[in-house]
Amino acid sequence: MSITGFAHKGRGVGVRDHQLILPSVVCSTHVSRKIANEVGAITFAHQNGCGIIGIDVPGVDNFFIDLANHPNVQSVLVVSLGCETIQGPELLPKINRELSRLLVIQESGGASGTYESGVTQAKQLRDNFKSEKAPLDKLIVGLDLSRDIPALSAIKTALTNAGFEVVSENEKVVSEHNLSKLMSAKAQVVLSFPDENQPPTGFPLIPVINIASTSPLHMALASEFDLVEGAKVEEIIEMINAVANGQKTKSELSGIGEIVAPRSVRSV
Amino acid sequence: MELTGYKRADGRWGFRNHVLILPLHQMLSSAARDVEKDSKGAVAVSHDWSQVIEKDHQRIIHSIAGNATNPNIYATIFLRLGTPAEDEVINLAKTYGKTKLIEVSLSEAKSIDKLKEIAIDRANTLLTEAKNEQRVAAPYSAMVLGLECGGSDAYSGITANPALGVASDKLVAQGGTSILGETMEILGAEHLLAKRAVTAAVGQQIIDVVARYEASINYEGIDIRGAQPSRGNIEGGLSTLEEKSLGAAKKAGNAQFTGVLEYAIAPSKPGLYFMDTPGHDIEQLTGFGAANVNITVFTTGRGTPTGSAVMPTIKLATNTEMATAIPDIIDLNSGTIADGTQTLEENGELIYKLIMDVANGQLTKAELGGHHEFNLSRLYGSSL
Repeated sequence: MSITGFAHKGRGVGVRDHQLILPSVVCSTHVSRKIANEVGAITFAHQNGCGIIGIDVPGVDNFFIDLANHPNVQSVLVVSLGCETIQGPELLPKINRELSRLLVIQESGGASGTYESGVTQAKQLRDNFKSEKAPLDKLIVGLDLSRDIPALSAIKTALTNAGFEVVSENEKVVSEHNLSKLMSAKAQVVLSFPDENQPPTGFPLIPVINIASTSPLHMALASEFDLVEGAKVEEIIEMINAVANGQKTKSELSGIGEIVAPRSVRSV
Repeated sequence: MELTGYKRADGRWGFRNHVLILPLHQMLSSAARDVEKDSKGAVAVSHDWSQVIEKDHQRIIHSIAGNATNPNIYATIFLRLGTPAEDEVINLAKTYGKTKLIEVSLSEAKSIDKLKEIAIDRANTLLTEAKNEQRVAAPYSAMVLGLECGGSDAYSGITANPALGVASDKLVAQGGTSILGETMEILGAEHLLAKRAVTAAVGQQIIDVVARYEASINYEGIDIRGAQPSRGNIEGGLSTLEEKSLGAAKKAGNAQFTGVLEYAIAPSKPGLYFMDTPGHDIEQLTGFGAANVNITVFTTGRGTPTGSAVMPTIKLATNTEMATAIPDIIDLNSGTIADGTQTLEENGELIYKLIMDVANGQLTKAELGGHHEFNLSRLYGSSL
């Protein structure tokens, strides 16, 4: 089955056409959210960008770069405060320059001035540069293996045979760590197998197909899962193709899932 | 100056009467934000906790339970999945005070949409109840002030910080409570603060907390005295960490230190305290919010818009240039001291009056702008 996506210059062909409002520091997350809500873009709350030290500085920097360069992203507006460790003006040249802009709160008339300019710039990025439809040759499917899956090798083989490139992360229990790593690996659709005691997951940039176990929690939350464990591989592949062609997953519809940047060191 | 507030059933005092939407799993954060948006005035926080037992477990659950029961909260609606880990947080919150705690469970609601519908309905009922509560005259001991700085510059130590110290001293003398945070920001000045401790033991605690902090950073192979001041601080004219610290400590005026608090732990009696918090602005606000702080005053040289869901956050500008350039995030300008148009005491008196006005209901710029960031603080990073 063929997949038609969106041609995103410099970022590749994506299966979603998201605009990303990227706060380079916690202090700009609220303004970013206001801009995103106004223009229908995605953004995320986080606590990074300042008060971070050691390997977390390049770690968070690279994470932001990966987010901004993900193929599912149409355009990026970086919103910076101005005095933080991860400086927006330094971040911008490291990300794909196509359809990327920067605003600095301390130089743009504060929060209200930044909001107004941000809405204008985000709308310009979206309306003046419509993404063309384009065929996607090779879909990268990410596997979030937060729990053990008996049929894993069969699923992997079937996905590969179906023409997908498969990447997987298997840190147990915490799906959001795996999702972040799968994003950096440029996965465009994720199959998530959440831990039995964890809820279904989501990631704002990437459609996540949640597959339920038979645990009491998953049974109670059955309506928020897309598939159940034991679903036939044909069924999984069919859903991946449908989702890649635009069908929304349960977590996309409900909006669940935060973006969590991996951190190794305490804040100072 | 008359002070009014909401007297809580457990004896604490609030200066706001919020209904807080608090998700107990990161996956419920988006639902919490939606409830805030669609209710008639509830406030929500987001966070990244997944209920997994990590090294920082106690720190995290105290932060969540403490903010849920901040005295400015009329009622907290917990959004939960229905897991035992959530019971631990809710049970801890019940020991902190008599704040109304409501639970809405996804396992019972069965869907996110239904969960949100139930929570919005409950929030609107509670908001109506909260509006009907009356303010009454409050003693000065009702006030628990948080002292914070962020984006410091060369003016911080000679304008806003010492002026805030004047206001803090006055409040403490009147029987109120004031908490200085940010361990990194007293590094290099700890010996001076220790001399002001009420007992030698408290003085030693101040020295020990700073040593413990520095060790936790050195453990990561980083020389904090090399990593600080931050780039923004240096651009603002600060030369060394010691210079930054000497200025930062001035927020706590000249009063005696009654005690030292662990992160997110409330003081048991009035006085001036030092709390071991990160300098990270929002992690610090979260620690204060969990410790009964009902108003925070935040001095800033570069200007930052952030605020808290549970505490009004008053912003003081250290310099007139910034206060003029971004007036929408600054409540009061202390740059007048450097301009020579006000004395330290005059500006300190204005800060004190503003604190009282805000306590009595005047909204801060951060509240007007809807800023209420919330971050959980970890000592071990987020990796398990």
